[in-house]
Amino acid sequence: MPVIETHELTRKFGDFTAVENLTLVVEKGEVLGFLGPNGAGKTTTIRMLAGIISPTRGYAVVAGQRTDQSIELLHEKIGFLTESPGFYQRLSARRNLEYFGGFYAGIKDLKAQVRKYLGIVGLLERAEKPVATFSRGMKQRLALARALLPEPEVLFLDEPTSGLDPEAAREVRDLIVKLSTEGRTIFLSTHNLAEAEQICHRISIFRTRLLVLGKPEDLRRQLFSRRVVIRLESIGSEILASLKRLAFVKKLDLEGNRLSLEMDNPQAMLPEVVKEIVQAGGRILEANEERRSLEEIYLNLIREDKK
Amino acid sequence: MTAHRIRNILLKEWEVIFKDLNNLLFITILPLLIVAEPLAIMWAVSRFGGSSVLGSSLIQSALAKLGAEIPAISVLTVDQQLQVLLLSQFKFFILFIPAVIAISFATFSILEEKQTRTLEPLLATPVRTWELLLGKALSGAIPAIIVCWACAAIFFAGVVIMGWGSLNTLVLTGSWYLVLLLLTPGIAVLSFLLGVIGSSRAKDAKNAQNLIVVIILPVFALIALQVTGIIWFSPLPVLFLSIGTWLVDFLVLRIAVRLFQRESIVIKWQY
Repeated sequence: MPVIETHELTRKFGDFTAVENLTLVVEKGEVLGFLGPNGAGKTTTIRMLAGIISPTRGYAVVAGQRTDQSIELLHEKIGFLTESPGFYQRLSARRNLEYFGGFYAGIKDLKAQVRKYLGIVGLLERAEKPVATFSRGMKQRLALARALLPEPEVLFLDEPTSGLDPEAAREVRDLIVKLSTEGRTIFLSTHNLAEAEQICHRISIFRTRLLVLGKPEDLRRQLFSRRVVIRLESIGSEILASLKRLAFVKKLDLEGNRLSLEMDNPQAMLPEVVKEIVQAGGRILEANEERRSLEEIYLNLIREDKK
Repeated sequence: MTAHRIRNILLKEWEVIFKDLNNLLFITILPLLIVAEPLAIMWAVSRFGGSSVLGSSLIQSALAKLGAEIPAISVLTVDQQLQVLLLSQFKFFILFIPAVIAISFATFSILEEKQTRTLEPLLATPVRTWELLLGKALSGAIPAIIVCWACAAIFFAGVVIMGWGSLNTLVLTGSWYLVLLLLTPGIAVLSFLLGVIGSSRAKDAKNAQNLIVVIILPVFALIALQVTGIIWFSPLPVLFLSIGTWLVDFLVLRIAVRLFQRESIVIKWQY
């Protein structure tokens, strides 16, 4: 069931187009990674989806509400972790959460809810301390608690692990995965490609417009031809000649004692390749399908788009 | 829910405002200084001879208009007449209190939100922008009005303490009550709205509060017009003045509401 749907969502600021024709669907319980360089329009997109700014053209439906209509109803159903975790510095963590939570009609027992989420983000012991005394990471966790407070159907997270130490970042990632298993839909904007690959069901790469959208594995297949890399003790002409005779090998590159073979289905064809090499007298040290990292996919797409 | 949300905003605003020592000092010391100043002037005039001042044609003209509103002053001594004239100026002088308190609280409130970057997460909650604006306006206007009324009470108590209590019955006319009940809230709201407008584009309180001249200068003008006898603000002119102020409030409110839309705050306001 789609929880986020956008149709040709476009936002212009004067002559400058920040977001152009964004059309996508995010299903219930899905974690969608939204990747892009600085200035790509990610925050503008999240602000449109969260009903904070209006699109110039197109529309979005989030949790069954048009984002340019019935804003209050929309905001009852979403949680938004903004890029900077803004809090009233003189007020305690508890008081900050009670203030923000006080605007939701859906929160029945606010004090209990505040305690629950302060506990989840590990700040219960610091509940009465002024936020001014908190580290960047603690503020980030408190901001996450604020976004979770209304127990929203959809969470918009803008750089949720930014400023966190590795342990805290891992806790946040685990929490995101847990929320997704509970059926919450998460729209995650991040620069952390490893994080996106680890926790997102699908990845979108965005630069004013949507460049690509899919599962990390599908993106690899879609964007890069598949390759097998074989390291041998030595490579003679017989080995090269036998490999060139294989019809399914589209391209063969040689670099030192390392062979790189481009083919459609490496998993199925690798045994055949190994057999040919051994018959030609070759001694194989290592044979693997080359895995492209999300970073390579990302950089490749962004470079292509710049051209 | 609206009343609950506005109460939520009010309580938070006051908690934040009154946790700041500068604000506490500002709301107590400045009004007391404003009250003390006319009492000191009155004392100086009564001590160092009002007769010479009364020779001025401007003061004579003002006294004539005052006499038209309060015929009973004709039986007072010259010094007492002058004291009643000065006491009557305080009804405008006191307007500085709601003006400065409301604009200060507005700029403090908005700039605090801007500096701590709390507006965007706040705008992502179900609060309506008009609820937010109204909650903030009340959080500035209510203390401004209460302090103003308290200062008026302290002022008249001061008049009694200094031995001029018999004059209070002459001074506390309908125009005074109109100033306190109609004009003071109007000025407090106007100051607050100007504070919001100033704060939307400013990065610090000093710049944000520049718009206070829009109120301070007209108040000075009112005092000058009255003390020189050009216009005497009897109840009817004060009523018109109050209605005019509320009309200006309405126009400025429209500008403030436009500036206070989610999109304007996120995109156009300077941070």
